[in-house]
Amino acid sequence: MQFWRRKSLWLALSASWLLFILLGAFPLFRLAVSPRPQPAGPQGWPRWLDAALLRSFSQPEEPPEDVPVPSQAPQGASCSWGTCFDTSRCRNHGLKIFVHPAAGAASEMQRRILASLEGSRYQTRSLAEACLLLLLSPGAPAVHCGPVPHHWDRGRNHLVINLHPDPCPRASQLGQAMVAEASPRVDTFRPGFDVSLPLLPEAHPLRGGFPGQLRQHSPHPRAALLALAEDGGRWHTASFHSTTCPWDGRCEQDLGPKQTHRGEKLPNATFCLIPGHHAEASRFLQALQAGCIPVLLSPSWELPFSEVIDWTKAAIVADERLPLQVLAALQEMDPARVLALRQQTQFLWDAYFSSVDKVIHTTLEIIQDRILGASAHPSLLWNSPPGALLALSTFSRSPQDFPFYHLQQSSRPEGRFSALIWVGTPGQPPLKLIQAVAGSQHCAQIMVLWSRERPLPFRWPETAVPLTVMDGPRKLSHRFLPFGTITTDAILSLDAHSSLSTSEVDFAFVVWKNFPERMVGFLTWNHFWDEAQGGWGYTAEMANEFSMVLTAAAFYHRYYHTLFTHSLPRALRTLADEAPACADVLMNFLVAAVTKLPPIKVPYGKQHQEAAPLAPGVPGSEPQPQSPDHDCINQLAAEFGHMPLVSSRLRLDPVLFKDPVSVQRKKYRSLEKKP
Amino acid sequence: MYSQAYLCIVIGAEQSPGVSMYAAVKHSSRGPALIPRMKTKHRIYYVALFSVVLLGLLATGVFQFWPHSIDASGDWAVEKRSVAVPVRGDLSCRMHTCFDVYRCGFNPKNKIKVYIYSLKKYVNELGVPVSSTISREYNELLSAIADSDYYTDDISRACLFVPSIDLLSQHALPIRETAQALAQLSRWDRGTNHLLFNMLPGGPPDYNTALDVPRDRALLAGGGFSTWTYRQGYDVSIPVYSPLSAEVALPEKGPGPRRYLLLSSQMAIHPEYREELEALQAKHGEAVLVLDKCTNLSEGVPSVRKRCHKHQVFDYPQVLQEATFCVVLRGARLGQAVLSDVLQAGCVPVVIADSYILPFSEVLDWKRASVVVPEEKIADVHGILQSIPSRQVEEMQRQARWFWEAYFQSIRAIALATLQIINDRIYPYAAISYEEWNEPPAVKWSSVSNPLFLPLIPPQSQGFTAIVLTYDRVESLFRVITEVSKVPSLSKLLVVWNNQNKNPPEDSLWPKIRVPLKVVRTAENKLSNRFFPYDEIETEAVLAIDDDIIMLTSDELQFGYEVWREFPDRLVGYPGRLHLWDHEMSKWKYESEWTNEVSMVLTGAAFYHKYFNYLYTYKMPGDIKNWVDAHMNCEDIAMNFLVANVTGKAVIKVTPRKKFKCPECTAIDGLSLDQTHMVERSECINKFASVFGTMPLKVVEHRADPVLYKDDFPEKLKSFPNIGSL
Repeated sequence: MQFWRRKSLWLALSASWLLFILLGAFPLFRLAVSPRPQPAGPQGWPRWLDAALLRSFSQPEEPPEDVPVPSQAPQGASCSWGTCFDTSRCRNHGLKIFVHPAAGAASEMQRRILASLEGSRYQTRSLAEACLLLLLSPGAPAVHCGPVPHHWDRGRNHLVINLHPDPCPRASQLGQAMVAEASPRVDTFRPGFDVSLPLLPEAHPLRGGFPGQLRQHSPHPRAALLALAEDGGRWHTASFHSTTCPWDGRCEQDLGPKQTHRGEKLPNATFCLIPGHHAEASRFLQALQAGCIPVLLSPSWELPFSEVIDWTKAAIVADERLPLQVLAALQEMDPARVLALRQQTQFLWDAYFSSVDKVIHTTLEIIQDRILGASAHPSLLWNSPPGALLALSTFSRSPQDFPFYHLQQSSRPEGRFSALIWVGTPGQPPLKLIQAVAGSQHCAQIMVLWSRERPLPFRWPETAVPLTVMDGPRKLSHRFLPFGTITTDAILSLDAHSSLSTSEVDFAFVVWKNFPERMVGFLTWNHFWDEAQGGWGYTAEMANEFSMVLTAAAFYHRYYHTLFTHSLPRALRTLADEAPACADVLMNFLVAAVTKLPPIKVPYGKQHQEAAPLAPGVPGSEPQPQSPDHDCINQLAAEFGHMPLVSSRLRLDPVLFKDPVSVQRKKYRSLEKKP
Repeated sequence: MYSQAYLCIVIGAEQSPGVSMYAAVKHSSRGPALIPRMKTKHRIYYVALFSVVLLGLLATGVFQFWPHSIDASGDWAVEKRSVAVPVRGDLSCRMHTCFDVYRCGFNPKNKIKVYIYSLKKYVNELGVPVSSTISREYNELLSAIADSDYYTDDISRACLFVPSIDLLSQHALPIRETAQALAQLSRWDRGTNHLLFNMLPGGPPDYNTALDVPRDRALLAGGGFSTWTYRQGYDVSIPVYSPLSAEVALPEKGPGPRRYLLLSSQMAIHPEYREELEALQAKHGEAVLVLDKCTNLSEGVPSVRKRCHKHQVFDYPQVLQEATFCVVLRGARLGQAVLSDVLQAGCVPVVIADSYILPFSEVLDWKRASVVVPEEKIADVHGILQSIPSRQVEEMQRQARWFWEAYFQSIRAIALATLQIINDRIYPYAAISYEEWNEPPAVKWSSVSNPLFLPLIPPQSQGFTAIVLTYDRVESLFRVITEVSKVPSLSKLLVVWNNQNKNPPEDSLWPKIRVPLKVVRTAENKLSNRFFPYDEIETEAVLAIDDDIIMLTSDELQFGYEVWREFPDRLVGYPGRLHLWDHEMSKWKYESEWTNEVSMVLTGAAFYHKYFNYLYTYKMPGDIKNWVDAHMNCEDIAMNFLVANVTGKAVIKVTPRKKFKCPECTAIDGLSLDQTHMVERSECINKFASVFGTMPLKVVEHRADPVLYKDDFPEKLKSFPNIGSL
C-alpha cells in the first residue's frame, strides 16, 4: 500500500513537473531565447491536408466562349491604337504627314512647330499620300476648339497637337483623333493612343536649344541636396542635411538655420521637389535641364513621352503623403543611383526636350514606332544615349548593329573593315593606295566609287580581297550613301589622293575597334570662333588641338552613312554637294552631334608633304574671309542650332611609339620611319 | 502556443477573445496548485486529473502539428449577419487617392506587409452556404504569399490585405453575397488597401473585362483587363494561369525557325475569326496551321490535351513547340490561358485582342516577346510576321520563354510579381528597374552598365586633387609636393599620412605651395587608405601619386589631366602594365616588360574619377579589399580590375615610357627579389580574376600623346613640349 502510495506520489509529482515545464518553462524559455516569431506552425496560411483534392478554378466544362464580339466603332474615351487608327493608310508611303492649315493667326509657338515639320522627312503636301493628319490646336486655351477641318472624318488618323493643357473636352468633340497634349491629366489620358508632351516655355528655341547644365557627373560634395519649386517660376535651394521637410509646413518647426538661396531660375541641387498639381508641370523641364533629379510628389499629370521613356531611370515619383519617408530615402540614396539618375536627366533633356524640333520629332517617332509595330525602337534605344531620334530604326532593330550599345549588349564591332575609295578629281587611279589597303589583314573588301567622266582603267591591281568598282557621275554626298554591299561595321573612307601605309591602316583600325562610335582619322582640322568676323571658322594648320578628321582617310561606323542620308535635311546635303570641304565638315558635325565627343587622331607619317594636295579645297594656312567654306561651317552651325564640334588635344599612338627600344620589339615599326 | 492549439478544437483557426480567456484562467488556477502536498485519499482523483491533463496536452500537440483539412467544418467560422453591398469599383482610383499609404509607414526594408484573412464560411439567411471552398490555385496563391517576405500575421502592421474569399473565377460566383462577404472583412474600410485576385472575370452574356463583384476601392489583380476597365497605375494586370503549366513539362527548345510559321490552337474561337484563320491557312498552306477540338476521340482520352486538324490529331501543348508564332485570340474574355502555354513552348504569341491589357504590362516590355495585331488586321498577319527579321524572331522566342519561366510558370510566380509591382509603387526609390524585369539572367550578367555613361567633358577649370600616400619618406614627399604644385590645373593637395607611430612634420616645415594642402592621418597603415573617398576631395578628378614619383614633368601631369577630361570614366596613368595568359601554367601572368600592349596602369601615378574611390571602398567584390590590406600589395591591380569591370573599358596610358624608379617595388632591390615581386603580382591577378569570376581587363595597343608629339613643329609652339624627357 505504502509502495503504491509512493508510486502514485511520484507519478503525481512527475506529472505536475511535466505540466509545469510544458506550461510555464517552455513559453518562458522561448520568450527569453528567441524573440522572433515562430516561422512554421499554424501561423500564415495553413497547409491543408486535402489541398490536392481541391478543384481547379478553371473548370474544363465551362461553356465555350463563342459569344459575339462587340465590334462597334469605338469613340472617344474607348479609342485605342488598334481600333481608332488605320495603319493601312501608311503602308505605301510610310509615315507621311499632312498639316491642316492653321485657322487664324498662328502663335509664335505654332510657327515654330510648323517650321520644324517643314524640314522633316515625314511631311507631305498631298492629302492622298498622308497617313497622319495633323491639326495644331489654337494657342490659348480660352479659345473654343473651333470648327473641325475639311477632311476630319470623325478624327480618324488625326493628331491634334496642343501645347497647352486643358483643351476642349476631347472625348466628345475630338472623336477618334489622337491628342498630343502638354502634361495631360492621368485620368483622361489614353495610354498607347494619346501622346503626352512636355509643357514648353513660350521662348523654347526651334532648333539646337540650350545644352544641359550638368558639368560634372557626380554632385559636388557641398552642393545642396534639395531645391523646391517656388512661386513665380523660381527655385528655392535649401542646403540642409537634417531631417526637415521644407515643403509642406507639417514639420516646419525644426527647419533649423535658414541657409537658403532664394530665387534661382535654374535649380542648383541634387534633387528638385516638384509638387504634383498641374500648375507646376513646367518645373519638370527646368529640373531636367539643370541636371537636378526631379522628385514628383503624386503628379496628377502624365509624364512627357511616358510611352517610350522609362522615367524611373531619371526621376522619382513619390507619394506626397509621406514627406519624411521621401526625404529619408533621398538622403540615404545609393550614390550609384544618384549618379545614374543625374546623367539620365541630362541625356533625356538633350535627346528629346531641348528644342521644339526635338519635341515634335519625338512625337512623330513615337507614332512611327506604333506603325512599325514589331520593328519599332526597342526600349534600350529610347533610353540610352544617343536616343531614338539618332538611332534610326530603318538601319536595324538590333542594338548590336549600332556603334553605341556594345557595352550593354556585351558585343563588339566586327573584326574587319571595308575600304571605300572616292575618285572624284582627275588623276591617276589609286593603285598604290589599293595595294596598301588590301595588304591589311583586317580588310574585307575594297569599293571604288568612280565618279568622274573619264573612262575606267582597264586593269585593276590583283588584290587578295574583293574589289568592286561603282561607276557613274555622282554628287559628293553620294559617297555617304548606305551602300548595301558594305557588310562590315567599319568603313575606311579614302580619297584617291590619300596615301597610307598598311601599318597605318592596321593601327588605326585597331584603335577604331575601341571607339566604334567615333571617327578615327589621320588628318585633322580645327574649328575656332573668329571674333573679327563674328562667326565660326576652321583651319587645316597644324595645331595643338583638332575637332574634325578628314574623310579622305578615316575609319567610322557604317551606321553614319545611314544617318547622313536619312536624317539630315536635304538642304544640308545639297550644301555638301556644292563644296567638297563642306561634306567633311558636315560629316564631322553629324558624328559630333551624336556622340558629343571629339574624333580621334592617329599618327600619320606623310602629313607635311601631302597635306595640301590630299584634300583639295581645304582652306589654306590663312583662312580667307568670306570664303564659301567658312560660310559652310556657319550655315551648318545655324542649321544644327549649336556648334556640336568638340576639340581634343591628344593623339593615340602605338604603345612603344618612338620609344628608345629596339625597333624589333615594336609592332607598328613602319610608323616610326622619318618622312 | 497552448491556448491557440486549444482554440483549434473549440472553434477553429479564428481567434475569439472569450475562449482564450477561459483557457488562461484554467491554466493559472489549477496548474500550480497541484504541485505541493497530496492527500492519499484523493490520489485516484489526482491521477485521473493528471492523465486528463496529459491527454489534453498530447491532443493539443497533435492538433498543433497535424495538417488541417479544409473541409473539416471546424475550420469554418459561421457568419450570419446581413450586411450592405459595397459600391461598384471606383474607376477614378489612383494610388495617391484611394490607397492608404500611411498603413505602409516607414519601412527600412522597403517591403510592404501583407495580411491574409483567415478562412470563413458564409451562409445566407437560411443558413445555406453561399460560397464553395477555395480553389486549388487560390490556396496555392495564399500559401505563396504566406511563405514570402511580404507576409505578416499581425493585422495591425499590415499595409495590404488579401481576403481568403476565392474570386479567381467569376463562374458560379454569387455576386451580391460575395460582395457582402467582402464588406464584412474586419479591416475592409471601403476596400482600402485590399487586394483581390481574379483571373476569369465577367460572365454571360456580355462578359465584363473586370470582376463584376462590387469592390469599392479595392485593388484588383485581374486577368483580362481592357483599356476601359483597367485603372492605370492602380490595378495590376495578371495572366490567366494555365493548369497545364504544372502538368506538362515542356523542355526548352532552342530558338530558330520551326515547322509552322503560325499556329492557332484555341478551341473556342468565334466562328467569324475561325473563318478568317482558315482562309489564311488556305492561302499560305503549310506555313499556317489552324487546330480545333477533336470530335472523333475515343473515350478516356482527355480532350483538353488533344487538338485536331481534319483527321490529324495533335498533342497539346506539345504541338505549340512546332510553331514559330502562335495565335492568342480573344474569346468571350480578353485574357486567355493559352498565352501561358504559348510562352512555355517558346512560341512567340501573336496577340489579337483589341484593347487587352497584357499581363504585367506595367513592368514587362511585351514588344520584346510578342506581336500585337489589331483584330481587323487578322488577314494581314502572315505579311506582318514575315517582315520580322529572323534574328529578332529568335530574340522574341527566347524572351517569351523567359517571361514564362519568371512570371507565368506558377501561381507563386504570379503572386510574387503582383506584390512586387505594388511594392515598387509604394517604395519607388527602391523599385526594380526595367532591365531587372525584362532582361533574361544571361544578359543581365554579361552586360555592362557604365556608371559614367553620359558623354561629358568636365570643364578644365575644375582641376584635380592630388592624393599622395606616404609613410615616412618626408624628403621625397616634399619634392613630390613641390613638383606637383607646379601643375596649373592642380586645385588641392591631400597627403595621406599612413604612419601611426610618427607625427607628420610641423606645418612650418611643409613646402609653401599655391593650393590648399591638407594632411589626413589614418588610423591604420593600410593600402586602401589611398582610395578612401575623403570628404576633402571636391574635384571629380583625382591624381593618385606615390611619394617617390618625382620624375613626371609638369607638362606630363597637366597633359594627363587633359586626357582624363576626355576619358573621365577611365583610369589614365603613366606606367603601363600587361596581363598575359601563361599557357604552360594555365594561369595569368603579370608583365612589366616593354610590350606593344597595355591593360593596366599603375596607380603610383594615375588620374581617375573620384567615384571609383567610393566603389573601391564600399563596393569591391569579395574579400579583395581585406586581402590587399593584409598583403600590402596589389591595390593598384585591384583598382584596375574594379574600373575595367564596372565600365567595360580599357585604361589609357599617357606619354612615352620613362625609367621609373621601380615604382611598384619601392623597398625591394636586386633581381631575385624583383622576381618574387613579379610572382606576387601574378598571384594577385589570378586571385582577383577568380573573385570577379571573369577577366575584366581589356588589352589595347595605343597610348595617348599630345597631338604634335615628336612632330616636326617648333617646340615652343607646342602646348606640352616637355614630354618624355628624363
